[in-house]
Amino acid sequence: MPLVKSTIEPRHLCHTVLPRNIKNELECVTNISLANVIRQLSSLSKYAEDLFGELFNEAHSFSFRVNSLQERVDRLSVSVTQLDPKEEELSLQDITMRKAFRSSTIQDQQLFDRKSLPVPLQESLQTCEQPPPLNILSPYRDDGKEGLKFYTDPSYFFDLWREKMLQDTEDKRKERRKQKLQDPRMYDQVYRYLDLPGQLKAIDRPPESEKVPRQPHDRKKEWQKLALGAELAQDIQEDKHREANGSAGYHNNRTQLYMDQLDGPFSLAALPYSQMNELLNRTGDRMYSRPHDPPPLPPPGHSLGEIKPPSVISSSSGFSDSRPQSPARTAGLNSSTPPPPPPPLPPPPPPLPSTGLRGTPPPPIPPLPVQHQPPAIPPPPAPLQIAPGVLHPAPPPVAPPLHSSSPARLQHLLDKGQPGGSQLDGTILPPPPPPPPLPLPGARSSPPCLSGPPPMPAFPSAGAMASPPPHTKHDVVTKRHHPANLPPISDARSVLLEAIRKGIQLRKVEEQREQEAKHERVGNDVATILSRRIAVEYSDSEDESEFDEGDWME
Amino acid sequence: MAGQEDPVQREIHQDWANREYIEVITSSIKKIADFLNSFDMSCRSRLATLNEKLTALERRIEYIEARVSRRITVRCIVLSDLINFVFLSHGTFVKYI
Repeated sequence: MPLVKSTIEPRHLCHTVLPRNIKNELECVTNISLANVIRQLSSLSKYAEDLFGELFNEAHSFSFRVNSLQERVDRLSVSVTQLDPKEEELSLQDITMRKAFRSSTIQDQQLFDRKSLPVPLQESLQTCEQPPPLNILSPYRDDGKEGLKFYTDPSYFFDLWREKMLQDTEDKRKERRKQKLQDPRMYDQVYRYLDLPGQLKAIDRPPESEKVPRQPHDRKKEWQKLALGAELAQDIQEDKHREANGSAGYHNNRTQLYMDQLDGPFSLAALPYSQMNELLNRTGDRMYSRPHDPPPLPPPGHSLGEIKPPSVISSSSGFSDSRPQSPARTAGLNSSTPPPPPPPLPPPPPPLPSTGLRGTPPPPIPPLPVQHQPPAIPPPPAPLQIAPGVLHPAPPPVAPPLHSSSPARLQHLLDKGQPGGSQLDGTILPPPPPPPPLPLPGARSSPPCLSGPPPMPAFPSAGAMASPPPHTKHDVVTKRHHPANLPPISDARSVLLEAIRKGIQLRKVEEQREQEAKHERVGNDVATILSRRIAVEYSDSEDESEFDEGDWME
Repeated sequence: MAGQEDPVQREIHQDWANREYIEVITSSIKKIADFLNSFDMSCRSRLATLNEKLTALERRIEYIEARVSRRITVRCIVLSDLINFVFLSHGTFVKYI
């Protein structure tokens, strides 16, 4: 459907209500129509002005370009006449000492930015309803993000893409360094072990350029896989990837596994979401560098949750398949979060229907790594959700502040040896509480002074506000016992907890600083980002990366 | 009866004349709007073609500048390239400006 750019305003000339006490109605109608005709002419002239303005701007920019081209041609003609074929420089100097070619052509990028919106469309945008003024809350946020970005973020996809590109350049560089260290003849094995870039490229770029060196091995592998049977083929590949520490490769296989399982009407829903989630996993994983467990788990659960009953079975079967592998993986991986084995059970991403997760017997470990997905997930689930209300984009970003205090809180719970502790977690957390961002960041910011009591009173208040009444009573009653027990026991542990928290925060801050430094350097220049990534991918020379890095920065 | 019809008829006739007048005006407004739209489209397509040619020229000039500054090329090749440039560029400019 074409988007209407501008309209001539009074559409109907005489569809107006006539005033009552008029004797000559025909004349009245005529006069009204003529007045509307004049208004139409005025809006037509405004439309013409906009039109010619746009055309003029374009032509004006062309005139600049033409003039500069003319000057360059003149200069070139002059310099060519001055060329002397007898002046031959030494070829070695030519090759090594020359400054690298820097193109000064301007490439079109960010074409559909808000700034390039034509004037009539801007005006019609102004007449639209404004989003709620969530930015007034942003001074009160701890993480320094804008409040409105959790509701609507026009630059979300671009930021996502940019993160992904930057990460990929980093990955490629690391891979090259590893290749340098290893035997240069062992290319095939390197590609197999560091499986992630190859898998990623299958999505981003046409596969032919990367698949050429890999084909012979792939065919053998495929035949071997099929020889044992199609069902076992997936498992074998997964085991290999698990051994080789290809975590993203693992994810890709998981996505494939789930995509195979979800046949028929579900596959369409599963496909884009799993790919999106894979994209998000790439960024999410790097940002937090925590143990990743099946991030594809939530999306199939989510998309299935919209089409409920028969899918729960398949999702549960999927879960049961993953079950033996995930605990082993998380146990084996070095986790930076302090309590990976104790059941953290943070709020699962809200799109997940609680039945979907509770229906399967959940070991607590998979939901733990899931929680760092929510900050990246909120906008994609938003268009896909049906039942959940407006609050959902807000709660998932609550999850990170919740999460960092949740290990502390859970340590408390576990240290108390509360039998009801696990029950509490199970019952409190599934409804993600919107109010906690306010009390909990306050709690988190004061860990050096008071570790125990602030999280506890803050949490029961939040718990009281958010969770459904029966749970509230349970929570509040049991929670009120804690503050009494806290002061004597918590001292020794509080020191440890503070150290742990600081460790998490320090690491997060360092990573964030790295990321921010990179962002400041890169800016929003699509061309440089892409060119850098392509340079890293396609170049085979060994001295490319550092040299290029300095040059592209200018 | 005739007396009653006359002023009414006159009014109705007058009304019809007014309506025709308004109709003429509105149809010409529509023609103007149509003309503006088609002018816009054709102008944009021409500007886009021009943009393409400009970009191509710019790239070729960059290439030649790079080659000339390195002084590796043989002079006659560069000259012939330049001649092509100038010829083409003047051709396009005369056509569109």
